[in-house]
Amino acid sequence: MKHLLYITTALGLMAGVAQAAEKTLTISVYSFAQDAYKKALYDPFEEKCGCKLVIETGNSVERMAKIEANAANPVIDVAVISSHDALALARKDLLAKIDSTKLTSFDKLYKAAQDPIGGNMAVGYTFYASSIVYRADLLEIDSWADLLSPEVKGRVALPNITGTQGPLTLHMLSQALGHDGIDFTDTINAIGEKSDDIVTFYVRSSQLAQLMQQEEVIAAPVGRFAWSRFSGSELDFKWATPKEGQTGGVNVMLMTKNNGNEDLAYEFMDYWLSTEVQTRIAEAKIDSPANKEVVVSDEIAESLTYGAELINSLNMISPADIIDNRDGWVDLWNEVVIK
Amino acid sequence: MTEKWTSRLILGLTLIFLIGPFLIIIIAGLSAGQSLAFPPDGISLKWYLKVFEIESFRDSFILSMALAIFGTLIALALGVPAAYALNRYEIPYAETIKTIVAAPIIVPGIIVGLALLRYLVLPIGLTVTLALFFAHTALVLPYAVRVVSSSMTNLRSDMEEAAVLLGCTRLSAFFKVVLPNIKGGVLAAFILGFVTSFNQVPVSLFLSGPGVRTLPIDMLAYMEITYDPSVAALSALLAFLSVGIVFLAEKFLGFSRYV
Amino acid sequence: MFQNRKEGFALALPAALFIGILFLLPVGILLSEAFQLDGGWSLQGYIDFISKPLNQTVFLRTLKLGFLVAAVSAVIGYASAFCIVNLDPKSRGRIFGMVVLPLMISPVARTYAWIVILGRTGIVNDAIIGLGLSDTPIRILFTETAVFLGLLQLFLPLMIISLVSSMENLPRDAISAARVLGANWLQVFTKIILPLTKEGLVMGGTLVFTGSLTAYITPAILGGAKVLMLETLLYQKVSVSNDYVSASIIATILIAMCFGTNLLLKRIATARE
Repeated sequence: MKHLLYITTALGLMAGVAQAAEKTLTISVYSFAQDAYKKALYDPFEEKCGCKLVIETGNSVERMAKIEANAANPVIDVAVISSHDALALARKDLLAKIDSTKLTSFDKLYKAAQDPIGGNMAVGYTFYASSIVYRADLLEIDSWADLLSPEVKGRVALPNITGTQGPLTLHMLSQALGHDGIDFTDTINAIGEKSDDIVTFYVRSSQLAQLMQQEEVIAAPVGRFAWSRFSGSELDFKWATPKEGQTGGVNVMLMTKNNGNEDLAYEFMDYWLSTEVQTRIAEAKIDSPANKEVVVSDEIAESLTYGAELINSLNMISPADIIDNRDGWVDLWNEVVIK
Repeated sequence: MTEKWTSRLILGLTLIFLIGPFLIIIIAGLSAGQSLAFPPDGISLKWYLKVFEIESFRDSFILSMALAIFGTLIALALGVPAAYALNRYEIPYAETIKTIVAAPIIVPGIIVGLALLRYLVLPIGLTVTLALFFAHTALVLPYAVRVVSSSMTNLRSDMEEAAVLLGCTRLSAFFKVVLPNIKGGVLAAFILGFVTSFNQVPVSLFLSGPGVRTLPIDMLAYMEITYDPSVAALSALLAFLSVGIVFLAEKFLGFSRYV
Repeated sequence: MFQNRKEGFALALPAALFIGILFLLPVGILLSEAFQLDGGWSLQGYIDFISKPLNQTVFLRTLKLGFLVAAVSAVIGYASAFCIVNLDPKSRGRIFGMVVLPLMISPVARTYAWIVILGRTGIVNDAIIGLGLSDTPIRILFTETAVFLGLLQLFLPLMIISLVSSMENLPRDAISAARVLGANWLQVFTKIILPLTKEGLVMGGTLVFTGSLTAYITPAILGGAKVLMLETLLYQKVSVSNDYVSASIIATILIAMCFGTNLLLKRIATARE
C-alpha cells in the first residue's frame, strides 16, 4: 500500500486523497533502535489502543524545526527530546502543559523525571549517565582533565558543542580544571590550545564507535546509552569513573500545544512510562528506566543508567543554563576551537 | 618501449585510485565481524543478507526508484519538446530559455532542497514527496535537454520537411521521422537522468518527512545509528545495479556515444 | 528551421516554466532573503558574515580545496587522457568504461570507503609505515588531505572524460614530428596539446571546481566539524542553529562562485582564438 502511495503521490494524481480512516497519533522520536522500540512499545500500543502510530525520526534540531514550523497546525502530537531542547520549545510557547493526574504512572517516576524543565511542560522517560570511554590497555583515566593530557594527544575525540554531549563535557572539564559555575570561557580556551591534538569533534556516537574500533581514537566522552557499542568489542574498552563524578541528562516526552489529539497522547505517554513498558525497554537495553519500580538483573543493569543511587549522583547541568548560555559557548568555540 | 610502460603505469595508478575504494567497499561488506574494517574479520554474506531485512532501506529504495523513473520520464516529456523547439524553430527568447533550462546544473543542490522546503513545503503544505519529485525532475531536465539536443543536431531537418510536404502533420512527422532517429539519445538521457537522480544527495538532504527518505539519505541516517558493514554491502549492491544498467545500455545501445 | 515562432515557443515553454516556477522562484526568494534585514534591503548580513574569522577560514578553505582538486585532476587528467587516446580502440573503450564507472556509484558509497582506507590502521598508513616513511601512523582522517583525496576521487573522472573527448582530434603525427625534431614533452604540451585541448580543460575544470565547491557528503564524512567547508557550514547553519539568514548568505556566495567560475573559464576558453 505504502509503495502504491509513493507512486500515486509522485504522479500528483491523488495527493492528499489517501488519508487513513482510523485514528492516528504522530510521534517524533530519535532515530536509533527503531526495530527494538517497535517490538517493545509501538506494536503493543497500537494493539492496545486500536490506533495507528505515525513515527517520525530524525535528529533533534530537525525535529524541533518541524514542530516550530507547524505550530499553527501541529503535525506532531508527542515528541521525545533532550530536556534542554524541550525547554527551548516550551519557551517558544509550543508545548501543552502536562496534567500529571492523567498519567497513572506519574508517581512511580524518579523525582528528577517528574518535572525536569519546570512548569510541568515535560516528563522525563529516561536517564543517561555520561562519562569517558577509554582503552584500558593503553591508558588510565581518573579525571575529566585527562582528556587534555599528553597521553591521549592526537588520539582523543570530543563531542561537538552543537550536540547534547558537548555542554556536558564542558561542564565536567570545567570542574576538573578548577573553574566553578557555567562560565566555560577558560575551558573552551584550554580546548582551543589543544585543538590540533584532538582527532575530531564527533556528532554521532555511531561515528565515535567506528573511530574507536579502528583505533583512531582511544578516549572520548560519551553517553551511557552508547556503551553497548563498546562493551561488546574485542578491544579493551572501559567506562571511566572520574574523580569529579559522572555527568548525565534526562530525556523527556512532551506534547505539542493544540494538537487536538490529547487523549491519545496521554494514553501513549502513560503507556510508555508504565512499569511494564519501561521494564521491557530496559531489558532490550534501549533506554534506562525513569520509573523507579522497574527491576532488572545485574547483567541488564550493566548496560544502563540504573538505580536511585547512580541517578541521584549524576552531576547534571540545568536545562536553563544550557539554553541561556549555549549561543555564547558556540561562538567562542567556533572562534578558538574550530578556527 | 619505455613510453608504453609509463603509459601503463599512469593508467594503472589512476584506475587503482578511482576503482580501489569501490573494491574495498565490496570486500568490507563481506566481513564476518561487527564493524567496518579492511581487511575484514573473516568472510560471510550476513551483511549482504541483512540489507534486505532492513525495512527502511526497502521503503527508501522504492521511493528513490519511483523518483528516478517518474522524475526522469516527466523531465523527458518536458525536455524533448524543448530540445526539439530549440533545435528546429526560430523562437523568441531562445537564449533566455536555454539559460533557464540549464540553471539546475549550476545551482548547488543543497540550496534547492532548502528553498523548496522553506517556500513550498512549509508554507503551502506541499508534501515532501511531491517536493522531492519536483526537485529531482528539475535536476534531470537540463541533462535531458542537452543529451536529446545533441542527438537531434545530427539529424537533418529536411527529412521532416519532406514528410510534412508529403501530407504528414508536424506532430506525426515528429513521431514518425524524428523520434525513431533520436531514440538512442532519449534512452541515453533517461539512463543519465536515472543515475543522477538515484544518487542525488544534497537536494534531498532537507527534503525528508515521516517515512519519506531517499535511499542515499536513508543510508546517511543509518550511519547515524551504526557504522556496521551493511551500509558497505548496500553500497556495493547499488553499485552493481547502476553498473549493470549502464553495461546493458552500452551493450545494446552504445550509450557512451551520447554522453 | 521552422518559421512558426509561436509553435516553437509553446513547445519550449513548459520546460522553462517548470524550472522557472518550481525551481528558480524558490531559490530566488531564498537568495533575496540574504539581502534583507529588519524589513529593509541591506548588505549588513554579508558584512557581519565576512567579519567572522571562522567564516573567512571556511570560505578560503573551500576555494583552496576546489582549486587544488581542479589543478591536480588536470595534471592526472592530461596524463591519463593522453595514455587513453593512444591505446588501441578496443582497450581504449575498456579503460574509458572503467574511468566512467565510479560516476555511476553513489557518492555515499565512494566516500564511506575512505574512512577505512585513511584510518590509523588503514592501508594507506600500513603502506607509509611499511615503506619506512614514518614510524608512527599519520593522522589523515578529518584533515584537509582526507577531504582533498575524497573530492579528487569523486571528480577526476569528469576531467578525464572532458580531456579525452577534446583529445580525439589531436594531430598525432604533429606530436611525433615535434618529438623527432627535438622538442621535449613540456614543449609539446604547451605548444601543441594545451592550445588544442583548452576547451576540454575548461569544461573539465568547471565541472571539477564547482563539483568540489558544492559536494556535501565528502566534507561531512571525511572533514567533520574540524574541516568545515561552505556546504557543510550551510547545512550546520540550518540544521543545528536554525540560522536561515546565514544559510542564504552562504547560498548566494556558493552560487556566485559557481557562476563566476563558469563565466571566467568560458571567457578564457574563447579568448585568443
